[in-house]
Amino acid sequence: MSVEFSDLTCERCDLVTEHELHYAGRLLESVRCTRCGHRVMLSHQALLPAYLHDLEHRVASKPQRMYRRAARDPLAFLVGLPLAVVRQPTKFARELWSLVRR
Amino acid sequence: MTVTPAAAPGADGVEASRAALVVLAAGEGSRVGHDTNKVLLPLAGRRVFTWSIRWAHSLPQVGQVVLVIRESDRELVGRALERELPDVDVTVVVGGRTRHESEWSALQTLAPEIESGGTEVVVIHDAARPLAGAQVFLDVISAAAVYGGALPVRDQPALTTLDHARQSELRRTVAVQTPQAFRARPLLEAYSRASADAFVGTDTASCVERYTDVAVRCVAGDAGNIKITFPEDLFLAERLLAKADWDLSAETVAHRWSAHEGRRRRSR
Repeated sequence: MSVEFSDLTCERCDLVTEHELHYAGRLLESVRCTRCGHRVMLSHQALLPAYLHDLEHRVASKPQRMYRRAARDPLAFLVGLPLAVVRQPTKFARELWSLVRR
Repeated sequence: MTVTPAAAPGADGVEASRAALVVLAAGEGSRVGHDTNKVLLPLAGRRVFTWSIRWAHSLPQVGQVVLVIRESDRELVGRALERELPDVDVTVVVGGRTRHESEWSALQTLAPEIESGGTEVVVIHDAARPLAGAQVFLDVISAAAVYGGALPVRDQPALTTLDHARQSELRRTVAVQTPQAFRARPLLEAYSRASADAFVGTDTASCVERYTDVAVRCVAGDAGNIKITFPEDLFLAERLLAKADWDLSAETVAHRWSAHEGRRRRSR
C-alpha cells in the first residue's frame, strides 16, 4: 500500500484542497480530502476484479519492463535483481491483504 | 462551426517529425500553501503526465517534445521521464504563473526550429488529460496543417440554451478539450505580439484569434479524454485505460482504422 498527496478539487469543500491517495499496487484504492475528510473509494465488489485485471497486465508486461530497466542501467539492474525477486511475494501478499481486510 | 472528420493514420499533410508537442504540466498554483502537482500522480503504473506524451510520440508526425514544468517539480519529472519515456527526447522548460506564460516559454524554446521551417505545426496539450490518444493528436495535427488551427470539442446538449434574440433557434454549446494544434509560424507570431502588448490569453485559441486571421477548426473530441480535476476522475481514468488495454497509441489507431475500413468495404 503506497500513499501519495496531491491537490484535487473537493466536491464537498468546493475548493482545490490537498488529498491523500491510497494505492493497492498501482491501482488507486481510495482518496481522502485532508481538509474535510470526504472520502471517495472503489467499492469492494469493483476493487478485486479491477485489481486482478490490473495484476494480469502487470505480469504480462513485466518482462518488457525488466528488459527496459536492464538496458537503461545493466549494473544497477543486476545488483538489485536478487532483492527484487525476494521482495515480490511479500509485496503481492501485502497488496492482497490490504484489499481483503477492507 | 464546422467539425472535420477523423483523419486516417498517415493521411494528413504533415511530414514525419514536423509537428512539435508542447505539454503543459506547470499548473497554475491556484491554492495557497502546500501545492502538490496532480500531473505527477501515479496512474496505472505511470505518472499522469507521461501517458499523453507516450500516445502523441507514437505518431510519426510528432518530433520535438517540450514539457513545461514548475521548478520545484524538476527532480521528480526528470526521474519519471528517465523511467517511463527513456526513448523520447523531451526538452524540459520552466513555465510561468499563467498558462499563457507557460505556452510562451515553450514557444520561445521552439522558435529556432519554427523560424527555420523545421516545425510546421505546434500541438499544445494539458498534461492533466492523460487519455488523449493518438487519434485525437492526429486529427488536430491534420486539421491544423490544412486550415491553420484545430481544437477538439464535445457537444454539451445539457448546456444548450435558447438564443433570446431568435427564440426559435438553439445555440450549440460545446466543451473544448486539448490537444489544440496550430500552424507554427502564425502561432509564434501571435505570442510574440501578445508579449509586446502584455496580453494574457485564457487559452491558445484566444491569442491566435486576437492576433492572426488563422481559421480555427473544430474536430470531434473524445468523451474519454477527461481532465483530472476531481478524485473520481482518477478512478475513471484507471478504468478507461484498462478498458483500452492500456494502449491508445498510433499502432492501435492504425489497427482500428484498417478494421473499420474493412467493415465498410464488406458492407458495400
